[in-house]
Amino acid sequence: MFTIGQVAKKYGLSRSTLIYYDNIGILTPSGRSESNYRLYSDNDLKKMGRMMLFRSAGLSLDSIPSLLDKQGDDLNSSLEHRLSSINNEIQGLRNQQKVILNILENESAVKGSRVITKETWVSLLKAAGLDEDGMKNWHVEFEKTSPEAHQDFLESIGIEKDEIISIREWSKIDDQN
Amino acid sequence: MSNEVMNKEKWVLLFREIGLDDATMRKWHHEFEARYPNEHQSFLEWLKIPEAEISMIRAQ
Repeated sequence: MFTIGQVAKKYGLSRSTLIYYDNIGILTPSGRSESNYRLYSDNDLKKMGRMMLFRSAGLSLDSIPSLLDKQGDDLNSSLEHRLSSINNEIQGLRNQQKVILNILENESAVKGSRVITKETWVSLLKAAGLDEDGMKNWHVEFEKTSPEAHQDFLESIGIEKDEIISIREWSKIDDQN
Repeated sequence: MSNEVMNKEKWVLLFREIGLDDATMRKWHHEFEARYPNEHQSFLEWLKIPEAEISMIRAQ
Protein backbone atom coordinates (compact mmCIF):
# COMPACT_ATOMS: atom_id res chain seq x y z
CA MET A 1 0.00 0.00 0.00
CA PHE A 2 1.08 3.56 -0.66
CA THR A 3 0.59 6.70 1.41
CA ILE A 4 -0.93 9.82 -0.11
CA GLY A 5 2.51 11.46 -0.08
CA GLN A 6 4.01 8.62 -2.14
CA VAL A 7 1.19 8.71 -4.68
CA ALA A 8 1.38 12.49 -4.95
CA LYS A 9 5.10 12.31 -5.60
CA LYS A 10 4.79 9.51 -8.14
CA TYR A 11 2.26 11.42 -10.25
CA GLY A 12 3.49 14.95 -9.63
CA LEU A 13 0.23 16.00 -8.01
CA SER A 14 -0.37 17.82 -4.75
CA ARG A 15 -1.83 16.05 -1.73
CA SER A 16 -4.80 18.39 -1.84
CA THR A 17 -5.58 17.28 -5.41
CA LEU A 18 -5.65 13.65 -4.29
CA ILE A 19 -7.87 14.54 -1.34
CA TYR A 20 -10.15 16.39 -3.79
CA TYR A 21 -10.27 13.33 -6.08
CA ASP A 22 -11.24 11.29 -3.03
CA ASN A 23 -13.93 13.76 -1.97
CA ILE A 24 -15.59 13.88 -5.38
CA GLY A 25 -15.35 10.11 -5.60
CA ILE A 26 -13.22 9.67 -8.71
CA LEU A 27 -10.32 8.05 -6.86
CA THR A 28 -11.03 6.79 -3.37
CA PRO A 29 -8.15 4.94 -1.72
CA SER A 30 -9.14 1.41 -0.84
CA GLY A 31 -7.57 1.39 2.60
CA ARG A 32 -6.93 3.38 5.73
CA SER A 33 -4.07 3.03 8.19
CA GLU A 34 -4.64 2.50 11.93
CA SER A 35 -4.34 6.24 12.39
CA ASN A 36 -6.88 6.71 9.57
CA TYR A 37 -4.41 7.87 6.89
CA ARG A 38 -5.35 7.18 3.28
CA LEU A 39 -3.68 4.10 1.79
CA TYR A 40 -3.65 3.41 -1.96
CA SER A 41 -3.44 -0.14 -3.37
CA ASP A 42 -1.71 -1.25 -6.56
CA ASN A 43 -5.12 -1.28 -8.17
CA ASP A 44 -5.76 2.32 -7.08
CA LEU A 45 -2.47 3.28 -8.70
CA LYS A 46 -3.45 1.55 -11.94
CA LYS A 47 -6.68 3.53 -11.91
CA MET A 48 -4.70 6.69 -11.22
CA GLY A 49 -2.44 5.94 -14.20
CA ARG A 50 -5.43 5.61 -16.51
CA MET A 51 -6.92 8.79 -15.10
CA MET A 52 -3.75 10.73 -15.80
CA LEU A 53 -3.74 9.37 -19.34
CA PHE A 54 -7.32 10.51 -19.93
CA ARG A 55 -6.56 13.91 -18.42
CA SER A 56 -3.60 14.37 -20.73
CA ALA A 57 -5.94 13.62 -23.66
CA GLY A 58 -7.96 16.64 -22.51
CA LEU A 59 -10.93 14.68 -21.16
CA SER A 60 -12.85 16.46 -18.45
CA LEU A 61 -12.69 15.38 -14.84
CA ASP A 62 -16.46 14.83 -14.93
CA SER A 63 -16.21 12.28 -17.69
CA ILE A 64 -13.45 10.28 -16.04
CA PRO A 65 -15.38 8.12 -13.55
CA SER A 66 -17.52 6.67 -16.32
CA LEU A 67 -14.49 6.25 -18.57
CA LEU A 68 -12.60 4.32 -15.90
CA ASP A 69 -15.29 1.67 -15.89
CA LYS A 70 -15.47 1.49 -19.65
CA GLN A 71 -13.58 -0.90 -21.85
CA GLY A 72 -13.51 -1.94 -25.48
CA ASP A 73 -16.10 -0.35 -27.75
CA ASP A 74 -17.55 1.89 -25.04
CA LEU A 75 -14.16 3.36 -24.32
CA ASN A 76 -13.35 3.71 -28.02
CA SER A 77 -16.52 5.63 -28.73
CA SER A 78 -15.81 8.06 -25.86
CA LEU A 79 -12.29 8.59 -27.16
CA GLU A 80 -13.54 9.06 -30.72
CA HIS A 81 -15.94 11.64 -29.41
CA ARG A 82 -13.05 13.51 -27.81
CA LEU A 83 -11.04 13.18 -31.01
CA SER A 84 -13.80 14.74 -33.07
CA SER A 85 -14.11 17.63 -30.63
CA ILE A 86 -10.32 18.18 -30.91
CA ASN A 87 -10.70 18.21 -34.70
CA ASN A 88 -13.44 20.82 -34.39
CA GLU A 89 -11.21 22.96 -32.20
CA ILE A 90 -8.38 22.69 -34.73
CA GLN A 91 -10.75 23.65 -37.53
CA GLY A 92 -11.86 26.64 -35.47
CA LEU A 93 -8.26 27.71 -34.94
CA ARG A 94 -7.51 27.28 -38.65
CA ASN A 95 -10.39 29.59 -39.48
CA GLN A 96 -9.09 32.16 -37.02
CA GLN A 97 -5.64 31.83 -38.57
CA LYS A 98 -7.10 32.40 -42.02
CA VAL A 99 -8.99 35.51 -40.91
CA ILE A 100 -5.83 36.96 -39.37
CA LEU A 101 -3.77 36.22 -42.48
CA ASN A 102 -6.42 37.91 -44.63
CA ILE A 103 -6.44 40.97 -42.41
CA LEU A 104 -2.65 41.20 -42.48
CA GLU A 105 -2.55 40.75 -46.24
CA ASN A 106 -5.11 43.50 -46.77
CA GLU A 107 -3.25 45.78 -44.39
CA SER A 108 -0.05 45.42 -46.36
CA ALA A 109 -1.89 45.87 -49.66
CA VAL A 110 -3.43 49.06 -48.33
CA LYS A 111 -0.09 50.45 -47.32
CA GLY A 112 1.22 49.53 -50.74
CA SER A 113 4.45 48.58 -49.09
CA ARG A 114 6.70 45.99 -50.57
CA VAL A 115 6.97 43.15 -48.13
CA ILE A 116 9.54 41.24 -50.10
CA THR A 117 12.11 39.83 -47.72
CA LYS A 118 15.60 38.56 -48.30
CA GLU A 119 14.29 34.98 -48.06
CA THR A 120 11.58 35.63 -50.66
CA TRP A 121 14.12 37.11 -52.96
CA VAL A 122 16.71 34.37 -52.59
CA SER A 123 14.10 31.66 -53.14
CA LEU A 124 12.94 33.40 -56.35
CA LEU A 125 16.42 33.77 -57.72
CA LYS A 126 17.09 30.12 -56.91
CA ALA A 127 13.89 29.14 -58.72
CA ALA A 128 15.11 31.04 -61.76
CA GLY A 129 18.17 28.83 -61.70
CA LEU A 130 20.72 31.12 -60.06
CA ASP A 131 23.21 29.35 -57.83
CA GLU A 132 25.38 30.97 -55.13
CA ASP A 133 27.88 32.20 -57.71
CA GLY A 134 25.11 33.59 -59.88
CA MET A 135 23.71 35.56 -56.96
CA LYS A 136 27.16 36.84 -56.10
CA ASN A 137 27.57 38.00 -59.70
CA TRP A 138 24.24 39.70 -59.55
CA HIS A 139 25.34 41.78 -56.54
CA VAL A 140 28.63 42.59 -58.26
CA GLU A 141 26.82 43.81 -61.39
CA PHE A 142 24.22 45.66 -59.35
CA GLU A 143 26.97 47.44 -57.41
CA LYS A 144 28.84 48.27 -60.60
CA THR A 145 25.91 49.58 -62.63
CA SER A 146 23.71 51.18 -59.96
CA PRO A 147 25.43 51.40 -56.56
CA GLU A 148 22.79 53.65 -54.97
CA ALA A 149 19.92 51.56 -56.21
CA HIS A 150 21.76 48.53 -54.87
CA GLN A 151 21.77 50.18 -51.44
CA ASP A 152 18.06 51.08 -51.75
CA PHE A 153 17.21 47.60 -52.85
CA LEU A 154 19.03 45.92 -49.96
CA GLU A 155 17.33 48.28 -47.51
CA SER A 156 13.94 47.59 -49.05
CA ILE A 157 14.17 43.85 -48.41
CA GLY A 158 14.97 44.49 -44.78
CA ILE A 159 18.65 43.63 -44.59
CA GLU A 160 20.52 45.05 -41.59
CA LYS A 161 22.87 48.00 -42.07
CA ASP A 162 26.00 46.02 -41.21
CA GLU A 163 25.14 43.23 -43.61
CA ILE A 164 24.47 45.75 -46.39
CA ILE A 165 27.91 47.26 -45.87
CA SER A 166 29.48 43.84 -46.02
CA ILE A 167 27.55 42.79 -49.14
CA ARG A 168 28.50 46.00 -50.96
CA GLU A 169 32.11 45.62 -49.84
CA TRP A 170 32.58 42.17 -51.28
CA SER A 171 30.62 43.18 -54.38
CA LYS A 172 33.26 45.83 -55.04
CA ILE A 173 36.22 43.61 -54.20
CA ASP A 174 35.07 40.84 -56.51
CA ASP A 175 34.66 43.33 -59.31
CA GLN A 176 38.33 44.25 -59.12
CA ASN A 177 39.46 40.66 -59.47
CA MET B 1 15.61 56.52 -51.06
CA SER B 2 18.35 57.90 -53.28
CA ASN B 3 17.82 59.85 -56.48
CA GLU B 4 19.16 57.03 -58.54
CA VAL B 5 16.28 55.51 -60.42
CA MET B 6 15.89 51.81 -60.92
CA ASN B 7 13.78 50.99 -63.91
CA LYS B 8 12.82 48.05 -66.03
CA GLU B 9 15.61 48.53 -68.56
CA LYS B 10 18.31 48.62 -65.90
CA TRP B 11 16.84 45.64 -64.15
CA VAL B 12 16.68 43.56 -67.32
CA LEU B 13 20.22 44.58 -68.18
CA LEU B 14 21.33 43.46 -64.75
CA PHE B 15 19.71 40.08 -65.13
CA ARG B 16 21.08 39.67 -68.64
CA GLU B 17 24.55 40.56 -67.41
CA ILE B 18 24.57 37.62 -65.04
CA GLY B 19 23.44 35.24 -67.74
CA LEU B 20 19.68 35.06 -67.37
CA ASP B 21 18.07 34.69 -70.76
CA ASP B 22 14.49 35.62 -71.76
CA ALA B 23 13.13 32.18 -71.00
CA THR B 24 14.64 32.20 -67.51
CA MET B 25 13.27 35.67 -66.83
CA ARG B 26 9.82 34.54 -67.88
CA LYS B 27 10.14 31.58 -65.54
CA TRP B 28 11.20 33.96 -62.82
CA HIS B 29 8.08 36.10 -63.24
CA HIS B 30 6.01 32.97 -63.29
CA GLU B 31 7.48 31.81 -59.95
CA PHE B 32 7.16 35.28 -58.50
CA GLU B 33 3.49 35.42 -59.47
CA ALA B 34 2.76 31.92 -58.21
CA ARG B 35 4.45 32.32 -54.86
CA TYR B 36 4.04 35.98 -53.98
CA PRO B 37 1.43 37.70 -56.18
CA ASN B 38 1.17 40.88 -54.05
CA GLU B 39 4.90 41.31 -53.87
CA HIS B 40 5.17 40.74 -57.60
CA GLN B 41 2.75 43.62 -58.20
CA SER B 42 4.68 45.89 -55.82
CA PHE B 43 7.96 44.97 -57.41
CA LEU B 44 6.71 45.79 -60.92
CA GLU B 45 5.32 49.09 -59.62
CA TRP B 46 8.69 49.82 -58.06
CA LEU B 47 10.24 49.46 -61.52
CA LYS B 48 7.72 52.10 -62.66
CA ILE B 49 6.15 49.81 -65.20
CA PRO B 50 2.74 51.10 -66.41
CA GLU B 51 -0.32 49.36 -64.96
CA ALA B 52 -1.39 47.89 -68.31
CA GLU B 53 1.97 46.28 -68.84
CA ILE B 54 1.99 44.99 -65.26
CA SER B 55 -1.32 43.23 -65.89
CA MET B 56 0.13 41.68 -69.01
CA ILE B 57 3.26 40.44 -67.28
CA ARG B 58 1.29 39.01 -64.39
CA ALA B 59 -1.17 37.24 -66.67
CA GLN B 60 1.52 35.33 -68.50
